[in-house]
Parts: sequence; structure tokens; C-alpha cells
Amino acid sequence: MTAVLLSVRSASARYGRREVFRDLSFDLRTAQALGVLGGNGAGKTTLLRMLVGGIAPAIGDVRIAGFRPADATRRLSVAYFAGAATLPPSVRARAWGALGAGEALLPDRRRMRVLSQGSRQLLGLRTVLSRHPLQLIVLDEPWEGLDTESSRWLNATLELKRDRGAAVVVSSHRLHDLAGFCDEYLFLMPHEAILLKAHEIARVGPVTAAVLADTFDRLRDRTKSQDAPAAVE
Amino acid sequence: MTRVFYTARFFFVVPPMPLLMIGAFAVVVVVAGVMVAIDSTRAAGTLTPILLLQTFACSSGFDVPARRGHYDLLLTSGGTRAGIATAHWMASSLPGALAWAALALVHELTAGNHGGTPLLDSGTVVALLLVSTIPWATTVRLPRFSGAIGWLLVVAILTPATPSIFNGALRPNTEYWGWIQSAFAVLVYPPLLVGRELTGDDRLLVAPALLSAVAAVLIGIWSVGRRDIPLEAAQ
Repeated sequence: MTAVLLSVRSASARYGRREVFRDLSFDLRTAQALGVLGGNGAGKTTLLRMLVGGIAPAIGDVRIAGFRPADATRRLSVAYFAGAATLPPSVRARAWGALGAGEALLPDRRRMRVLSQGSRQLLGLRTVLSRHPLQLIVLDEPWEGLDTESSRWLNATLELKRDRGAAVVVSSHRLHDLAGFCDEYLFLMPHEAILLKAHEIARVGPVTAAVLADTFDRLRDRTKSQDAPAAVE
Repeated sequence: MTRVFYTARFFFVVPPMPLLMIGAFAVVVVVAGVMVAIDSTRAAGTLTPILLLQTFACSSGFDVPARRGHYDLLLTSGGTRAGIATAHWMASSLPGALAWAALALVHELTAGNHGGTPLLDSGTVVALLLVSTIPWATTVRLPRFSGAIGWLLVVAILTPATPSIFNGALRPNTEYWGWIQSAFAVLVYPPLLVGRELTGDDRLLVAPALLSAVAAVLIGIWSVGRRDIPLEAAQ
């Protein structure tokens, strides 16, 4: 059994009065991958940002190797990427790529604003994943805008990093990308978060996109029926 | 040390101010340099546009690009938030400081032995320090240029309302109220100090402005270190 790297205890997130999620608890061990699923506005991006110290939980605690996330990023090697939209538009692609491991990832001298979304997404991912060894990888919708070849590269890179000991947290709407890769799946439903291990979702065989979609629908219906007011005769 | 270099490199690649601003500094330095070379007695006057540009350059705003995720790579690369905020302030002030240094050098080279350069007088240095600190600190959590626009508004309102506030600011003042007005004028309009060697009374006059500047930067750095940086798109 590998060591626990990431520990979230009773964490809640709020934007002003709006509660994004509450009472969220889970552990993630080294060399394990966690997939985060949820509808739009369920709090996936907020949770991932909380894991790297961008947001402090309103209640609860987040620890990475025993440290608060802001301190952990100083002690451990962490990769975080929240999508192509987070890249500064006026920066040249080559210069940005060199901020990763120090070597030029792209010969492209064009500015970010003129690159396609897929090219920016790939550049952002290659930049954060070029650092090694990585201990924690947190990626928000990483497959968004990627072509088939780039998606394959990302899958292979994440598997390689995980096999080398990195803990991976990844959110996506694309279930076929998450399916089979993750050891645990966190379903962010309105007012409830449900953590299921891969073998709890598919008792026989691997977790497929169809099984994942079916589980998601079942959990969503369950939480909806819990939220619905009692029928009045 | 590696983190310091990485942070410096990051802000070289992702400058806090628009590239157009750096171009504007270059143009102003060339024009002012030619003017200083032609007539070295006008050196102090050539610094006013640089101070104005510096006010805008330092009103760079940390929070908005950070909330857009532009600094995510830096924020998760191992540096402290306070260190990153300090580097952001220094990167915002660097073009103006370099422009000032270049002008001072031109003056030094062209003026010959006609006495010291007004661009290196203590009053000039204090003026540059004030326009490099307070706009940055006031704009930390606001959109870019907010601090400079606010400052322009204050000057534009005060000038017609109390014309004497800037004109008589640095005259010897024995009255308590007059001294407060002068100290306020220095804080609001630092170009008053350009080309002035600060003596005993002057030093007392600029002390509140300098203390305010240091306090403002410390509060700005503390604010970056303490508060959340959520993604704009996630709220």
C-alpha cells in the first residue's frame, strides 16, 4: 500500500453566500489517479484549485503530504493546469514553453492569442508536465480541444507519471478519457459528493465510458429524488 | 536562488504591463534624451512624462491576471506568494526605473562639469519611489490602470479646487495646517520633488509620504499572500 499524498477532510467551498460543495472528504495515494466528474457548476474547477492552494476551504482541511497546499507547492513538485483560457494571450508560445522544464517545447514564435484552442491546450499541458519528477498532477478538463494524437500523448504521459509515483487528479466531461485510467472517481452532485473506487463501479472488468455514464446518471437521479419535495396528495 | 531566477524569468516572459507601455517608455526616453543632450538645464522637466508613465506602468494589477490563471504556473512552482508579489511590484517598476537611469546617464554624459544632475537629487529619487509604490499597492486587487486613473482624478479635482495646494507646497511653512497641506501635496503630486535636494525641513515633509508608500506596498504584498485567488471562470 502506497502512502497517502493528498488528504481532504470535511472541505466546503463558498463564493460569498453561494455554497459550491460541502463536507468533502477523500484521500489519494501516490501512484493513484482520481477522476472528478460533475455537471456544469458542480465545483470541479473550484475543488481542483483548492487542492493547489488557490482557494482555502471555507470549512475543513486540505493537506498534501501533511502540508497546507500553499506550503506543499514549495516542498513538492506540483503540476497544475486549468485550461487554454488561462494562458496569457500576449506571450509567445516558445517563451511560455521554456518556462516548464527550461527547454523550448515549441519552435512556434506566434503569440498565444493567434494559436488554436487545441494548440494552446497542448502547449499548456506540455509545459506543466515537462517538469519531473512530479509528485502531484492536478488537471482541469485536460482533454478539452485536443485532437486524437494529442489525447493519446496525454493519456500515455499521465499513465507514465502515475506509474512513476505521481498522484493524479483530473476532471473531465469526456467520460471515455477518464474511464479505465482512474483508480477512484469522485462524483460532484448538487449538495453531495460521492467517492467510488473503480472496482465499486465495475465489479467485473474495467470501468468503461458506458458504465461511468450509467453510474453518473444513477447517482444524479438519486440525489435529485432526495432533493425533490415530498409529493402531496 | 533558483526560485528567484525563475520568478524573474517568468515576469520577463509575462510582463505585468502591456508591451505598448514598454514601447512608450522607450519613445519618451529617446525624446527626453535628445532634449537633455540639447539643453541640460531642462533635465528635471523631462522626467515628468516618465513619472506619469511610471504611475500607469505600476498600476499593473495583480489580482485580475491571477484570477484569469495567467500566473498559475508561477504560483505552483514553489515560490511564496509574498515573494511573487514582491517580484510583480519590482517587474512593474523596472521599466520606469531604467528609463530614469538612462536619462540620468545621458545628462551625466552631456552636461559635463556643470554641477550634479537634478535627476539624481534626493527629491527626484523620492518622487520616483512614490510613483512606483502607491499606484502598485492601490491597484493590487483592482483592474489594470485603476490606481493611475484614480490618481489623475484626485489631481484633476484638487488643482482647480485648491490651486495653492501644489503651487506653495514646498515653501517654508511654520503653520501646522500649512505643513499638513504641503505633506499631502507631496503625497498626491510627487513630481513636485523632482530636481530638489531634500534638506532638513523637506525631509520631514516627505516622511509621511514615504511611510505611506512603504506601508502601502507591505499591505499589498500581505494582501496577495493572504487572500484566495479563485479562477474567474469558476465563480
